[in-house]
Amino acid sequence: MSALGGPKQTGGVQSPTAIGIVLSIVLIVVALGLAYFLVQMAGVLALVGIIIGGVLVAFGVHFVPVGGAPAAMGQSPGIATGVAMLAAGAGLAGLFGGAWAAPLGLAVALAGGAVGGGLLMAITCTMVNVIYIFGMGIPAASGKVAKDPITGDTFPEYKSQGTEGHGLPFISWVGGVIGGALGGLGGTLIYLELLDIYQAQLPVLLNATVEQIAPVAISLAGIFAVAMFLINAVLAAYNITGTIEGPHDPKFKRFPRAVVAAAVASAVAGLFAIGLLQLVGVF
Amino acid sequence: MEEIVFGIGITALAGALATVAGAAEDVESDIGSQGDPNSQVQLAPQMGYIHRIFNKAIAGEPPAYGLWVALGAGLAWAFMAMQINPILAIVLGSALAVFVQGIYATTAYLGRTASLAKFGQPVYIDILKSMTTVTMAHAFVAIFTTVAMCHLMISALGHPFPLPLLGIVWGIALGAAGSATGNPFYGKERQYQEQKFGAGVPISASGNIVRYAEAGQRNSLDNGFFSAKLGGPASGICFGLIVFFELWRTVVFEELNIWGPIVVGVVVILIFAIIDRYIEVWARKNFGPYTAPEEASS
Repeated sequence: MSALGGPKQTGGVQSPTAIGIVLSIVLIVVALGLAYFLVQMAGVLALVGIIIGGVLVAFGVHFVPVGGAPAAMGQSPGIATGVAMLAAGAGLAGLFGGAWAAPLGLAVALAGGAVGGGLLMAITCTMVNVIYIFGMGIPAASGKVAKDPITGDTFPEYKSQGTEGHGLPFISWVGGVIGGALGGLGGTLIYLELLDIYQAQLPVLLNATVEQIAPVAISLAGIFAVAMFLINAVLAAYNITGTIEGPHDPKFKRFPRAVVAAAVASAVAGLFAIGLLQLVGVF
Repeated sequence: MEEIVFGIGITALAGALATVAGAAEDVESDIGSQGDPNSQVQLAPQMGYIHRIFNKAIAGEPPAYGLWVALGAGLAWAFMAMQINPILAIVLGSALAVFVQGIYATTAYLGRTASLAKFGQPVYIDILKSMTTVTMAHAFVAIFTTVAMCHLMISALGHPFPLPLLGIVWGIALGAAGSATGNPFYGKERQYQEQKFGAGVPISASGNIVRYAEAGQRNSLDNGFFSAKLGGPASGICFGLIVFFELWRTVVFEELNIWGPIVVGVVVILIFAIIDRYIEVWARKNFGPYTAPEEASS
């Protein structure tokens, strides 16, 4: 029980409430309706893509092993930075690759985004272990589970006294790469959907060719993709509260709440991104 | 073929710039105590340990670096639009961004430290005067190299994003890589040197940071000197490898097949998985299980 009398904080499943789900569905339907009103069927399809992208980002963040300040002192396992920051870094690196591959088609761009995000996390997680092992002399040990579900390594005997574990066990490494890949995939999907919308609308609005408006369309889509990324990553970070070790952490089971919230946040924020040019046209 | 060789050259240069950026970023954030272990610097006076360490963490490193690099890149972009030579434009843009970082460092140190007045922690003006310029110098190196790297990605490799947007993307990635890799070395190995090597810091020791250096009271310049030995270079290698592999796989393998960069990316991820697993097993074998020290050090 918290000091303010809120619900008890549990590590396990915390399902979304019925009223929350109803409200979420209403908001998403309203957003889809408005998208149809503003940009017809293309707008609805783009908004669905943005919602899927946002959900992927929020879900992916739950995989990333984050230890914050305690990890920086070897007090808890994970990477020594904040959830939102690390996930955003990985996802944005994915977006960089996805945007680069955009002219090669949807499938290549999405795969490029996913691999870009996964690669950033693979290198970062490996270097984190290099520092833990060669800089601090600490082997990896999880505080949440006794055995690594992938390698079968046991942890309790390697855990230092008075800590919740330290380092980055292999399961956390794998979780980090999956999280980075999902983030890169989601971010790239949002970017590509918005790019399509702007490339269709801007030439009409500005009376110019697709080539002429390309820099504006790319910039706008990129800015909104970065913004949507941060919205969903921060939202997921609030759901996690503090630290998480990866997919084996009991807190991982909280993800349904974040997925519902991310869908609503992406629908509402995405509606503004899609309807931006109509709004500009009105004023 | 010639194009690929040119691309590899640019990739190598971008990777080298990123390596310098990562190293400078980590040392800067450790001098300014901006990374995650900053909570210990903030906590120490509350536990009765007065110290002379700079403390400027308001936001984390990734958003802060996202701002500074985007600012440097945006200004450089504007100068280039005014037909100023790109190199001069990047230097000017980065220099102006560093002044913002300097203002941030000054106000953050004064604000954060003043909030600890009730615990008897003084604001040391000599610390403010000597450390701010040092963090600014390191920040300039990090911002300049990152903006230059972003400019190379656009002008030589043809990335579609405009310079300021690429600045946000790589600024946040720089902060994420630097804070992830460098922070534990500063947080555990530097702040808690009296703790046993080869073990994590017990939670009960929180705030009990080491406050004395080889010659008198420790200040943040000692932290920079210490971080430059391993935390900084490791962060540099981390960010350099990220940038290098992101560019290299695209530049070299896109010519063969549009799926080439993706396949190579997956292979590189698997190679890093093997490296990680190898060092994990190596550590378990060589360090062995945890043994409690005979006399508890906390």
